[in-house]
Amino acid sequence: MAKKFMDPHDVATIPGTEGWEKMYPYQYPFSKDDPERAAYESSQIWFYDGLHYPIPHYPFDLIWDEAWSMALSQYNTRHWLIPPALGIDHRIVNGYVYISPVGVPDPEEIGRRVPLFMERAGFYFQNWDSLYENWKKKMGLVIDKLAAMNFTDLPVMEDISIIKEGIGIGSGYKLLKQWDELIDLGLLCWQYHFEFLNLAYAAQVTFFATGDQLFPGIPIATLVKMSAGFDPILFKPDAELIRLAKFAIQLGIDDVIAKPLKADELMKELEQHATGKEWLAELEKARYPWFHISTGTGWFHTETSWNDNLNVPFNAIKTNIKTLKEGKEIGRPTAQILEERDRIAHEYRALLKTDADRDAFDQGLGLARLVLPYAEDHNFYVEHWFHTLFWQKTHQVSKILQRAGFFENAEDMYYLKRDEIKAALWDMITGWTTGVKSRGQSYWPKEVAWRKGVYQKFKEWTPPAALGTPPDVVTEPFTIALWGITNSTLTSWLSGGEEGGATAANEIQGSPGSSGVAEGKARVLKEVEELADLQQGEILVCKTTSPSWAPCFVTIAGAITDVGGPMCHAAIVCREYGLPTVVGTGKGTQLIKTGDLVRMDGDTGLVTILERAK
Amino acid sequence: MLEKEKRFTLGYDELEGKDFNLVGKKNANLGEMLKAGIPISPGFAVTIHANDQYLIMTGIKEQIRKLIDPPDKQVSFETAKEASKIAMELVENAEIPAAIGDVILSEYHKMCEKYGSACPVAVRSSGAASMPGQMETYLNICGDKDLIDYVKKCWSSAYNTEAIMYRMNKGMEFLFNIGAGIPKMVNSRVSGIIFTLNPINGDMSKISIDASYGLGEAVVSGLVTPDTYLIDKITLDPIKIIKGSKEIQCVYRENASDIVQTDVPEEKRRVNCLSMEEVRELARVSKLIEKYYGTAYDIEFGIDADIPFPQNVIILQVRPESVWNKKEVVSKTEGKKDPMELMLGQLLAGVKIK
Repeated sequence: MAKKFMDPHDVATIPGTEGWEKMYPYQYPFSKDDPERAAYESSQIWFYDGLHYPIPHYPFDLIWDEAWSMALSQYNTRHWLIPPALGIDHRIVNGYVYISPVGVPDPEEIGRRVPLFMERAGFYFQNWDSLYENWKKKMGLVIDKLAAMNFTDLPVMEDISIIKEGIGIGSGYKLLKQWDELIDLGLLCWQYHFEFLNLAYAAQVTFFATGDQLFPGIPIATLVKMSAGFDPILFKPDAELIRLAKFAIQLGIDDVIAKPLKADELMKELEQHATGKEWLAELEKARYPWFHISTGTGWFHTETSWNDNLNVPFNAIKTNIKTLKEGKEIGRPTAQILEERDRIAHEYRALLKTDADRDAFDQGLGLARLVLPYAEDHNFYVEHWFHTLFWQKTHQVSKILQRAGFFENAEDMYYLKRDEIKAALWDMITGWTTGVKSRGQSYWPKEVAWRKGVYQKFKEWTPPAALGTPPDVVTEPFTIALWGITNSTLTSWLSGGEEGGATAANEIQGSPGSSGVAEGKARVLKEVEELADLQQGEILVCKTTSPSWAPCFVTIAGAITDVGGPMCHAAIVCREYGLPTVVGTGKGTQLIKTGDLVRMDGDTGLVTILERAK
Repeated sequence: MLEKEKRFTLGYDELEGKDFNLVGKKNANLGEMLKAGIPISPGFAVTIHANDQYLIMTGIKEQIRKLIDPPDKQVSFETAKEASKIAMELVENAEIPAAIGDVILSEYHKMCEKYGSACPVAVRSSGAASMPGQMETYLNICGDKDLIDYVKKCWSSAYNTEAIMYRMNKGMEFLFNIGAGIPKMVNSRVSGIIFTLNPINGDMSKISIDASYGLGEAVVSGLVTPDTYLIDKITLDPIKIIKGSKEIQCVYRENASDIVQTDVPEEKRRVNCLSMEEVRELARVSKLIEKYYGTAYDIEFGIDADIPFPQNVIILQVRPESVWNKKEVVSKTEGKKDPMELMLGQLLAGVKIK
């Protein structure tokens, strides 16, 4: 591949955003001030991580990017010594995160890493199940600590107990300390996030590569089907909503829940019924931990959990009740999925003609099946359970700063980077301790207003798919399995850049997620709360789906998402429901309008807008 | 209903392999394919018994039998040619008895009801003994009169000079009754070729379909760049679809059996010629054919414009795949002693980008 993408240093600053770099950590922008670093940056491939970030970064929300940048890389480079691969480097351009896999250039060094890798990774694979059990305990402790945190306003004066018990420390100090602990827990959680994930992806890459050797061109979705199919935790919240719907019908209170009332009003009314109380007790049981599920991906502070907004699960329960009373089946046909998985694996294996090929197939499949529970379930612990609680706590802090007059809106805090929030807290606290006005009240509103303008301009900019120089070979497991960076993706990006987009104005190219073709009216939903608007047979267009969206799959004819690959939630669920899905369109929710007549091809990933809504 | 042996016609769906002595091998094979669930063009067989009764009832049987009797292994080309001329004239010029003609036409009229009046059919010879390519097949036959005329022509083709020479050489009788197959002419909106493997690398987990508009001629003879569909044999999901240019198509000239080329309209070139449900149905049927014969197969198909889905998917011809079936089986992977070794190997290899 001789052609190069645009040099990362040549990307123009959007007029009116000059100086945007200060919104992010200083090492994130591409820079020419060190010739060695600049040459390295030009020689690498940098691709836009649209899989995780369909929007530009709020400065504070970059915390997860920093956290995974460190954690993923450390495991490749310093823990397992993946022989040919070091970490994944990160940069930010006009608010969008670009990442780049780093290889080990020296063949001798690769050779030296081999026995170390075999010993270290070998230990984890041999003890996978017990280590994983231990992991769940560790994560449980981290989450308990986080849940126990509580941020409150600084008091006018310290409580008398501080005096009488001789505590000797102040609320300002405690606030700063707790803030540090909160950030620290977030980083710790992401350390654990990657404890198994690199090896899990290495195992999947092994199975994918072996599968492709044996059956050239076999879709990753098919390989996933062969290795998946157990009962992932991510489906548990949905299962709870179905259980609660069935229980409501059984108790005869389904007509109460069906009333067009908000969750809190419904709960008040249910309190009045004897059976209603019984049902509410079951609801409470389901809420912890299963309602710690994000209405989005968990990556952004704007997303909430079911526990933050009970209207979301209540609406889903209402839909479930309606569907059940129409006599339709809901839920995952787990037995059928398992049967299908075994049939597919068996039929593929039967095509192999030599012992060596059969062994390779069995070894690869065995690895993939070993690691898949972790690969799918860690997401619930980290991105859903931990993150939604984390955002709850940061919202407490942002409200404290808002009440102190630092921000017009509580949400403004997220335009500050992590270290700036600590500085703002310090400023607020020293103002409080000295009894004078802090500088923050005059400094931040103006600064945030400017940053909001910059952010808006970032939003209107389209980040190029890739920058820099494509490598000869990619060895980094995540880059291959998660982002799907291969010859053909790079080629299509290159040609897209050349012809200014290979698709016509009424066409949007995404990735195939689930097979089949559907045609129908589009329903563009930005928030899961809008699910009630969905009509039978419509095609759902959204940024991404999570278990919160589960009730919609009995209604829709197909789904189109901005974000995701063949292993994302929407693709997995739609394959199970037999619905066509196109994932990772990038801008589907912006280009398609509710009411547009669209055709989607889940086999080719092409979405065509046939007729615009009147 | 009469016993099978006494009937003049038999539906394809009534036939099986062992009926070859009643209707000829080609017809019996079609019955066998149908039984296995392989969709073929709808139609019926005119039995060997019908041919025999035709000769008896018209009183020409003895005349024909005596032309070369007993069989003569040394028969000269001249003698065979002379006998051919007389026999063929006798068979073609006799008046078909109503008892036989009415039965054939009544079967034909059932087809016309389903697929349109004067439904075009083929008349294909089908002998109980193999005589590859010795006898005639007539295409695009429409209407009662032509059908009867061409059934007689088909019967008479058993007496063309080559067929006579062949039989004499084998020591067979001069008199030779054959069956005829009367399938609907497939009005191919789209047709093409299927391999039940990936013909490029021999990968058995794929089904490859090449398809273009009109008759199969365009694809078989490489007159067009067809659409290519690579299908996963196990899940039946498409893996790769390459749209072909499909500039021209072959069609039958109006009311004739010769083929002409016409341009494919621009808007039809730009879209895939097969719908996804047709692709899946073709893949499903191909898998069935491979399972039935137990090896990779090469299949010709047509999508009939007169018939609704899924019955419009019609298999025209099948034969064993000839390239990969003959190759020696080699492992595609190196043997590794355990999964860690396998993983190390794959990690070191990575994904080549160049």
